[in-house]
Amino acid sequence: MRRGLRDVGLAIAIVIVIGGLAMIVAGANPIDGFGQLLDGALGNPSEIAETLVQTTALLFPALGIAFAFRAGLFNIGAEGQLILGGMAAGIIGVIVPLPAMLAIPLTLAAGAVAGGVWGGIAGFFRARFGANEVIATLMLNVIALLLATYLIGGPFKQAGATASETASLPAAAQLPGIFPDSRLTLAFPIAIALAFFLRWVFRRTVFGYELRAAGDAPEAARRAGVNLARTAFVAMAGSGAIAGLGGATIVMGMLHRFNTGLSPGYGFIGIAVALVGNLDPLGICIASFAFGVLQSGAIAMQAMANVPRDVISIVEGLVIVALAGRRVVAARRNA
Amino acid sequence: MNGVDLDVRAGEIHALVGENGAGKSTLSAIAYGAVTADEGTVEAGGPVGLVHQHFQLIERLTVWENVLLHREPRRGPFVDRARARKIVRDLAARHGLAIDPDAIVETLPVGIKQRVELLRELEREPRILLLDEPTAALAPGEIDAFFATVRRLADGGTAVLVVTHKLAEVTAYSQRVTVMRAGTVVARFETARTDAAEIARAMVGGELPELAARATTLPRPRLVVRDLTAGESTGAISAVSLTVDAGEIVGIAGIEGNGQSALADALAGVLPYTGTIELDGALVPSSAGPATRIERGVRVIPQDRRHEALVLDWNVRDNAILGRQEYPPLRRGAIIDRGVADRYAKDVIERFDVRPPNPNAICDGLSGGNQQKIVVGRALAGEPKLVIAYQPTRGIDIGAATLVQSRLIEARNAGAAVLLISFELDEIFAVADRVIVLFGGRVAGTFARAELDRGRIGALMAGNA
Repeated sequence: MRRGLRDVGLAIAIVIVIGGLAMIVAGANPIDGFGQLLDGALGNPSEIAETLVQTTALLFPALGIAFAFRAGLFNIGAEGQLILGGMAAGIIGVIVPLPAMLAIPLTLAAGAVAGGVWGGIAGFFRARFGANEVIATLMLNVIALLLATYLIGGPFKQAGATASETASLPAAAQLPGIFPDSRLTLAFPIAIALAFFLRWVFRRTVFGYELRAAGDAPEAARRAGVNLARTAFVAMAGSGAIAGLGGATIVMGMLHRFNTGLSPGYGFIGIAVALVGNLDPLGICIASFAFGVLQSGAIAMQAMANVPRDVISIVEGLVIVALAGRRVVAARRNA
Repeated sequence: MNGVDLDVRAGEIHALVGENGAGKSTLSAIAYGAVTADEGTVEAGGPVGLVHQHFQLIERLTVWENVLLHREPRRGPFVDRARARKIVRDLAARHGLAIDPDAIVETLPVGIKQRVELLRELEREPRILLLDEPTAALAPGEIDAFFATVRRLADGGTAVLVVTHKLAEVTAYSQRVTVMRAGTVVARFETARTDAAEIARAMVGGELPELAARATTLPRPRLVVRDLTAGESTGAISAVSLTVDAGEIVGIAGIEGNGQSALADALAGVLPYTGTIELDGALVPSSAGPATRIERGVRVIPQDRRHEALVLDWNVRDNAILGRQEYPPLRRGAIIDRGVADRYAKDVIERFDVRPPNPNAICDGLSGGNQQKIVVGRALAGEPKLVIAYQPTRGIDIGAATLVQSRLIEARNAGAAVLLISFELDEIFAVADRVIVLFGGRVAGTFARAELDRGRIGALMAGNA
């Protein structure tokens, strides 16, 4: 595990180097760029709080992706699962009037269930027919966005509103803030607790043991009595549920209503986060913070150092290509 | 490998023996020129030919195409097929190796494939011939024929170096023996003045461990297989019926590719089959997967330890418990009991002398022999009812192999039914109570221990009823 965390540090160092090179290509001074980036992300308490908001938003899908990855499945559908989770939270939170003690768990659960169903569909096709989960989740992303666009533009549109979005969540269904004058809510400690819970699942439980066996050596796992089909289904459904939960926390903590623009691609950036975090929940916490800094500092960097914020997207894309590519190659070699 | 001197004389068959990792393959690769020595020289009195343990043939091509690859006779821009066929036919006739030049290699039995491999080297008229484990895939009768050919070559002035671990072949066919251990030559013998036991002692560097004694057991039917049909094409089994009693080791003799994999996989529940499998009188449904079979006391030592048995990235402890994760006391509610996992791992490490004796060592870094000890160790842990052991000593050294065989016998003494699938007839003869010969996916014969007949079994293995 110590080796695992060292890998996380190495990966983050690589991210910094790539980012610096991208800034040079974009014609900016990387030292100035990173300086403004760090200042914008961590310069004062409210900036730190916003960085933690971004950390949280990345942490959920990244943990979900890692959950599937540990079982040897590449869930690139976290974005769609997150959107549907957010939508379910936005709808349930509005139409079910309950006190906060009940409304918050119920609304969170609605998000997890919606994301879980969406991931579970890909898991079912994988388990039942051996369908490639990469293709399935990629397609389901598109369907999720179109489905959400239709539902909130039609049946669940806020009465009288011009924009396509749900009505505002009642206060009882909103996540309480934990830092004044910020969007930082209970979602942050929930995400951290989830990471520790998943670490425990992977390391201590029979289920986690079988999940890792299925991911690391499927044929050996099968012969040792692991039901690979069931594991694939549970891994994908669980992965989707975690991403969906993340969508719900964005709606309940940041936006207080659902619209399809709730995610600037958290579900995709989450792939990079999960890989940089070496698929270890604690490593992913660290990686989420690093990427949270990039997300929240990018605007300051663009304004103050004249570095286009697209540089950050380039870095994220390169990380996915490099790290995912390495894993796919390794997986092919083992197969 | 360090400071090795070896000379092979024209006209002799020289055996090079040693355990896995002793340096035999490196030495032959250097002699062939595939690997460059850091220090020292290789002198060859003519061209060198090499016949690999794993055939280097292009399966989809014909015999003559394989034999003459890259040296095809030409007529203008075209291959002169008529002449090519004649070259191969003449070559085969000259060496007394009957073969059809137009046969597609993949349709040929293993023994004939090896003939193609040998012909390809002979076509270059080598003065020195290196044979790397040449008889690994041959039946006993084929081995005699193969060495008769090699003998004729040697008599014609070729120097032959045979790399092998089969001491029976060394004593039967070679003139001199060189023994390697840990990269150096530890002994040289004139074959006529030594015996298999002395060579074996030199290989392991001490006395050989003794095989566990066979206790008297009260056999009663444990595994009853009827009309088992499974697999596809060449490796399939059809209508195989057999029984294995509790307290009995049944050896499946046969050349690789005669249905052994299909038999083991069907019993393990990872290959669909028709026919019935009964355990202690109760049917094991054909739909039952590995989990159900494990629960009923079936343990499998798979043929491919790296892919089918171990999670190589994991440590010894996590691998030692694989297969038992669903059952108490290891399973405690939803979690794996760490104390029990430690105990299971320690048990495997101690009973099987796993080195290093460290439960946190990553399996990928262990030698093949030590990996195999983990696989066998966990299969024999607890009180297995039925053990399917597929080549349990493949690629491991004599000491480890004897340990594994002893543990199989002890499991049998304790009442387990053991089905031992092995391509090494010596292993089956040493361990089994009863021998079943598998040929072409069918049972070709059954022999009780008292009536084992090597010649008869060898003939059945080669398909001669």
